[in-house]
Amino acid sequence: MNDPIHIQNLSKTFKLPHERRDTLKENLLKIAKKRTYEEFHALKDVSLNIQKGDFVGVVGRNGSGKTTLLKLIAGIYQPSEGTVKVDGKIAPFLELGIGFQPELTARENIVVNATLLGLTRAQIKEKFDEIVSFAEIENFLDLKIKNFSAGMKARLAFAIAKEADADIYLCDEVLAVGDEGFQKKCMTVFEKWKEEGKTILLVTHNSDQIRDLCTKAFFLQQGQLVAAGAPAEIVERYHQSLAL
Amino acid sequence: MSYNTLKREHLAHSIRIIKELVISDFKLRYQGSYLGYFWTLIKPLLLFGVIYTVFTFFMPVAVENYAIYLLLGVLIWNFFSESTLIGMNTFLSKRDLVTKIYFSRAALVYASTISSLITLLLNLVIFFFFLAIAGVAPGWEALFFILYLAEMYLIATGITFVLASLTIHFRDLQHIWEILLQIGFWLTPIIYPITVVPFEYHSLIFLNPWARIIEYSRDIFIRHHIPSLYLNIILFIGTVIIFALGYAIFKTQENKIAEKL
Repeated sequence: MNDPIHIQNLSKTFKLPHERRDTLKENLLKIAKKRTYEEFHALKDVSLNIQKGDFVGVVGRNGSGKTTLLKLIAGIYQPSEGTVKVDGKIAPFLELGIGFQPELTARENIVVNATLLGLTRAQIKEKFDEIVSFAEIENFLDLKIKNFSAGMKARLAFAIAKEADADIYLCDEVLAVGDEGFQKKCMTVFEKWKEEGKTILLVTHNSDQIRDLCTKAFFLQQGQLVAAGAPAEIVERYHQSLAL
Repeated sequence: MSYNTLKREHLAHSIRIIKELVISDFKLRYQGSYLGYFWTLIKPLLLFGVIYTVFTFFMPVAVENYAIYLLLGVLIWNFFSESTLIGMNTFLSKRDLVTKIYFSRAALVYASTISSLITLLLNLVIFFFFLAIAGVAPGWEALFFILYLAEMYLIATGITFVLASLTIHFRDLQHIWEILLQIGFWLTPIIYPITVVPFEYHSLIFLNPWARIIEYSRDIFIRHHIPSLYLNIILFIGTVIIFALGYAIFKTQENKIAEKL
């Protein structure tokens, strides 16, 4: 069996123009002027392997490429160089709120998002109550998502993604905004996933979580993978780099 | 799982996504406005009412059954303009989904144009009502309209693919497209009969597939006559080319959508 995630020499470069030109008017007015770009290397030559059942923590400062890495694995971004091979079904929930439509109610968003994650109408119906009670939003079902607090959105996002029945879960800062009670519930889910042999990638700034939950950790610095190994060691190194 | 089952599973998933997006699109489009969905039905009718008044009483055009003649043209053009104008913004308006979940981006375009197609179908109910009032009973030829509906959908969707792919690079494209649609409205025989155009320009006018679709639809509903096989084949080939080209252009941009938003 293949490893669920196999990444080789992965680089991602964003071209950042020195001046924004995203209208036709601007393009026509400045047609003679050559566009200049700044190249931003979000990820540089990253190679890593994640095995089935790994619970991987990713640490690094802001802008070190953590979210870019997750988006590349999820297929939202395409690599500039190198390859990302994924074997299995992915449930991404990135940056709090798997992408809700603010003008729709919670109820409507649950249906749309669960569908995007691969559930059928019948499955959604069956799991609807569980999602609502896990997210603790019983009284807000018909409220538009734009009126939800960040914590409520995160809870709902997690509650939906947890029903996705994926092989690989990508979690970007999911636990950052929930209260303690909710964090505890998430831990139970993480433990369950671990038992079921799911593969999990967790991006967080909470070192305790990495130490407690993860079986393996990666440390990203300015787009480069500088260390991989046991969570305790990696967290230690990360802290050292911060102290400098 | 074999390759084929995987593929079928994937297709079923995409269809479910399109369905849910159409439903949520509907809710998004018409909530908040007082008359809700009613407004979309009324809009082309108002336009029709004004044009009808002007060209019946002030500057009469010599067309038999002008009311249904005009209404059919207005409704079809309204579908084209609405589906492309709303559809070209679909990636921008759904950016929260696009930048956070991977799913077929084409589904967004299909969902948007299907929503507009449903509006057209509801508008057509009014058209049939007008047909009944005018005492024009459509014959079996009217069944050809199903083919034309499919072609309308494919042409509008093909063009929306191109516009939506370009809009992520040029955010002001919508204003330009609005102007082009205005020009297109007058260069298509919607309010005037094609006979007022000098004959040597007919081939130019009929380069526009919407001129053909509107004229052929009038043929089958009002004139009880089916356009020749030759004309139907030309329209069909044109439809396929527009859709395929539009989809191909979208495919070259597909991977850049999330990054550009």
